[in-house]
Amino acid sequence: MSGSAIQARCLCKRFGSVRAACGVHLDVAPSTFLALLGASGCGKTTVLRMLAGFVRPDGGSISIGGQTVVDDTTWTPPEKRRIGMVFQEYALFPHMSVADNIGYGIRPDQDRARRVAEMLDLVGLQTQRDRHPHELSGGQQQRVALARALAPEPAAILLDEPFSNLDAALRVRVRSDVRDILRHTGVTAIFVTHDQEEALSLADQVAVMMNGRIVQTGPPHEVYRAPADRAVAAFIGDANFLAGTAEGRKVHCELGELIAEQDHHGPVEVMFRPEDLLIIPFGEHRTATVTDLQFFGHDQLIHLRLPSGATLRSRLLGAPGAYQRGQQVSVRVNNPAVIFPS
Amino acid sequence: MATPGLSADATPEHPELRRRAPIGLRLFAGAIGLAVLLPLVYLLIRAGETGHRFWDIAGRDETLHVLWNSAVLTLLVTASSTVIGVVLAWLTVRTDLPGRTTWAVITCLPLVLPSYVGAFALIGAFSSNGLLAPLFALFGLDRPPRLYGLPGAWLTLTLFSYPYVMLTVRSGLRSLDPALADAARSLGHPPWRIARDITWPHLKPSVQAGSLLVALYTLSDFGAVSMLQFNSFTRAIFVYYRTSFDRSAPAVLALMLVALTLLILWIESRTRGSAKLYRAGVGAPRPAPRVPLRLWRFPALLACTVITLLGLVLPLAVIAFWLLQGWTAGEPLWRGWSMVVHSVQAGLWAAGITVAAALPVAWLAVRFPGRTARLTEKAAYAGHALPSIMIALSLVFWAARYAPALYQSFALLIFAYACRFLPEALGSVRAALGTVSPRLEEAGRNLGRGPWSVLASITLPLLRPGLLTGFALVFLTTMKELPLTLLLAPTGFDTLATRIWSATEDALYAQAAAPALVLVAVSGIFVGVILNQEEQDDVYE
Amino acid sequence: MKRAASRPWLPALLAVAGLSVFAAIGMKADDGRLVVYCGRGEELIRPLIERFEQETGIDVSIRYAGTSELAATLMEEGANSPADVFFAQDAGALGALHRHNALTPLPADLLERVPARFRSPDGTWVGVSGRARVLVYNPERIAETDLPPTLDALTDPSWKGRIGWAPENASFQSFVTALRIQRGDAATLAWLKGIQANKPRPFAKNSAIVAAVAAGEIDAGLVNHYYLYGARRTNPDISARNHYFPEPGAGSLVNVAGVGILKTSRHRAEAERFIRYLLDHRAQTYFANETAEYPLIAEVSLPADLKPLETIATPDLDLNRLEDLEGTLSLIRQAGIF
Repeated sequence: MSGSAIQARCLCKRFGSVRAACGVHLDVAPSTFLALLGASGCGKTTVLRMLAGFVRPDGGSISIGGQTVVDDTTWTPPEKRRIGMVFQEYALFPHMSVADNIGYGIRPDQDRARRVAEMLDLVGLQTQRDRHPHELSGGQQQRVALARALAPEPAAILLDEPFSNLDAALRVRVRSDVRDILRHTGVTAIFVTHDQEEALSLADQVAVMMNGRIVQTGPPHEVYRAPADRAVAAFIGDANFLAGTAEGRKVHCELGELIAEQDHHGPVEVMFRPEDLLIIPFGEHRTATVTDLQFFGHDQLIHLRLPSGATLRSRLLGAPGAYQRGQQVSVRVNNPAVIFPS
Repeated sequence: MATPGLSADATPEHPELRRRAPIGLRLFAGAIGLAVLLPLVYLLIRAGETGHRFWDIAGRDETLHVLWNSAVLTLLVTASSTVIGVVLAWLTVRTDLPGRTTWAVITCLPLVLPSYVGAFALIGAFSSNGLLAPLFALFGLDRPPRLYGLPGAWLTLTLFSYPYVMLTVRSGLRSLDPALADAARSLGHPPWRIARDITWPHLKPSVQAGSLLVALYTLSDFGAVSMLQFNSFTRAIFVYYRTSFDRSAPAVLALMLVALTLLILWIESRTRGSAKLYRAGVGAPRPAPRVPLRLWRFPALLACTVITLLGLVLPLAVIAFWLLQGWTAGEPLWRGWSMVVHSVQAGLWAAGITVAAALPVAWLAVRFPGRTARLTEKAAYAGHALPSIMIALSLVFWAARYAPALYQSFALLIFAYACRFLPEALGSVRAALGTVSPRLEEAGRNLGRGPWSVLASITLPLLRPGLLTGFALVFLTTMKELPLTLLLAPTGFDTLATRIWSATEDALYAQAAAPALVLVAVSGIFVGVILNQEEQDDVYE
Repeated sequence: MKRAASRPWLPALLAVAGLSVFAAIGMKADDGRLVVYCGRGEELIRPLIERFEQETGIDVSIRYAGTSELAATLMEEGANSPADVFFAQDAGALGALHRHNALTPLPADLLERVPARFRSPDGTWVGVSGRARVLVYNPERIAETDLPPTLDALTDPSWKGRIGWAPENASFQSFVTALRIQRGDAATLAWLKGIQANKPRPFAKNSAIVAAVAAGEIDAGLVNHYYLYGARRTNPDISARNHYFPEPGAGSLVNVAGVGILKTSRHRAEAERFIRYLLDHRAQTYFANETAEYPLIAEVSLPADLKPLETIATPDLDLNRLEDLEGTLSLIRQAGIF
């Protein structure tokens, strides 16, 4: 696959008895923005640091722009990989000005002043060029870190939890700023996050990582709609699970007969998203009981309990009706459900 | 801005901190560790010669008695030096004390006075017709209190060793991130809680580094205790050399001193804790605002003045008095500038090489904590409480036997200084390195710079406070070092310290006076330059 | 940025350091020189050396340090010692090197210049100047008639808190060793304990004792005779005098500073010439005049106020027997002195 900007094969890394990464495969097409999504401790940062060259894999290979940087016989140190990195804590050099930080990685044979000016332009910090990092706001520091990583025109850039240090209000704006900048430059980028909303909303591709493995890679909607297994389904977005039995594309469960996405025969677990669970207040079989309500303005989340004791959640847009705790309602699943053989 | 936390690397996200250090670094640090072990191996060889007498020598009542004396003295001196050093460091770094920089230079100068000169001067000042007699007469005492024994040794060693703490804590305070304290204050904590919960944990490594140096220096000192007639362990070691020309029995005692040092190191490492102290939050630390002292500046100035009077002005006055006496008696007072050149030359080289050697050891200890790092660091400190004469003799032993071409060469002399003073540089470099996040180095690598380029452009500039402090400490203590210089320097390599020694040895105090004053002046100039560099680091614009 | 401009001193500093190392490397003693390890004061010895170099054309490299430190250094250097001559402050250090088999016998004509009791019977070292034990006292506080006639008088309780001594000092140790030879260990221990009961003030240096006596801090102290003369240089009217115990014995022991040639010496002829020079009339007169030490060769005149060597009630004992310092130390320890 020479078309990949970044390719990893069978990456493995152990720290003592802890298996941080195991058999990690990754293909990132040029100009793609890939999110490496996983819970804290799943090994995603280790993968990122192996790509950057700060951690040496125990096995496997990595190639960047078609060139192998690590395999059993090759080792390219970080400075030779042409990979930019934005650190979680930004790691701006405190003793250098903004311009010096950005100019640090530019090769001597390039026109440093021009490139620094370009980068300052790109991130909108022209007026701050002579400031020191400690004089900037969090969002500005983030942009300096990005400009610094982009300045040497790297083959790809890596971002480690880039938005986790920003407060909520700032985060939304900085996210879209960062995505615009990356789109504008057309650089291949991988960012690590534990926030599935962040991954789904920003990335072109999402790679979900669990226990040191990449369990699924695909466009955000695909990962969301068709999770590879129950764990991915539970991790990405909100999910309702019910036990059932499949017969071809039909599946029987406590809610009656549902349409499944896939063909299967035998016992399965049925998964459907809360937004696919419709509530019919005065339907025929009012078997579900409202146990709790969370109102968010643009939508609301309704917690339900079935006679068997199973709990479900339904997400309703806006405020179509005022439900009350204890109210008996009937429910219906709107779209084909996902089934996982159990 | 988000609240910066204490540690990023405690989480399993970064378990690679437990990775092994590069082989080159381990070899380099290991070689330094072996070099500093030379004196200990020598001691083992010599102590082994005592055979069955070993335990007899070690277990004597007198031996245990002087060991106890030394332990008590060390405890007292360390405690008082730490208090004085921390207060002075805070006053000169974090407050608007008038003349801060000048005070900083002045108050670290007592370190350069050989302890026997300082003790001699203090004895003179405290004698019944000494400089201080009129002062005590004001309080109705017909003579100043006797300075001899434990109180005298305590006072003197405190006055001449608190600068160890002051210098290391100064650099610790400079690398302390004020945002931490601000964050705590914004959470509504009163100042004392901030001091206890935020400032202290970050300052602790540098306070400990300084206190450790004071403790080991107190154990190793011979000049002051012998002048002040305090029966310390070091004095017992010297008695053997002086009287029986026996090299084995003192080696036994020296090994006990090493054991005591290891005990102190163990206690120190127990209390050091394992928290990573570099910033885990965003961005870079900004320089701290200075605390306005307002009316408190008068007691602060008074404290600085009293310390300076006792530790510097009094000895200098006594020395100036000798000079005057010699002048009126028409004695030759000055023997040319070669000794000044030699002293400065030895001081600069020793400081440079020692700091350079401390860097890889500190690096290993901070970035790759593990067995190699622990052993190397312990080895560097283990011999630091030994009296210099033993280090000197051990290097005589090794060099004369196995490197005769180097014996009594300048290179060997610098090597000897580096062995002796490595811990002084190690403590402050280590403390400084602990506050530099490894992410910064990774960022540099990632931007296409090789490890050496990153070292030069990122790490070293950020380590400057620690490197400068280590440099200053080694420079000052090399300037006064005696036994190593006497026995290992090239023939004819006289320094200010050797000149002062040979003149006082012959009781020709007038002739010791001019070199002593020049020693203080030259050291003052160099320390001034060094501390001035520190000061400029604060001005980012 | 200010930083680059703020350290113009750095290149200059590096240049100085770089140049200086060349100068310093060149300072290693070269082979053609006579190397002397000298435990005696530089101020005293330097003029002698300069004159020796002028007269003989022999270049001398001299290393000054404490006698015991140099003795230990010579032992550690062993076969690779660069030293030719050891000039020691006291006979004990020379004796120790002799026992260590580091010294080589001197020619008879050199040895015979000095009375037999001031040199090694094996001929490996020879005394250069003599130093007598005395009691230095403050005449304003002790009348001449109240001076102790014997060492033992000092154990009288009337001396409580009035005496100073320097028990770490080699000359004191030699004196105690002499006392042991003269009286035996039991009597010596009794004497040490007697003095210790009077709580004498311990000093690090003999010169400090003289200063303390003159300042009235103590009334008397056990020292070598010449420290008084040293103190008189800066203060001719110093309030202190020497008292020689009239009782014959260790209290008036005369010890020597002496020289020996090392077995490893590669410049024997020059080394012997150096010793011959130290034992000639001029050098001996120099010692007598400069330090008020006793010249050891015949027919050298003494400074007027120095009690002649022959009239001192010195014990009749061989200085080589002052070697058993281990035993002496053990007695001093038993007496609780350290």
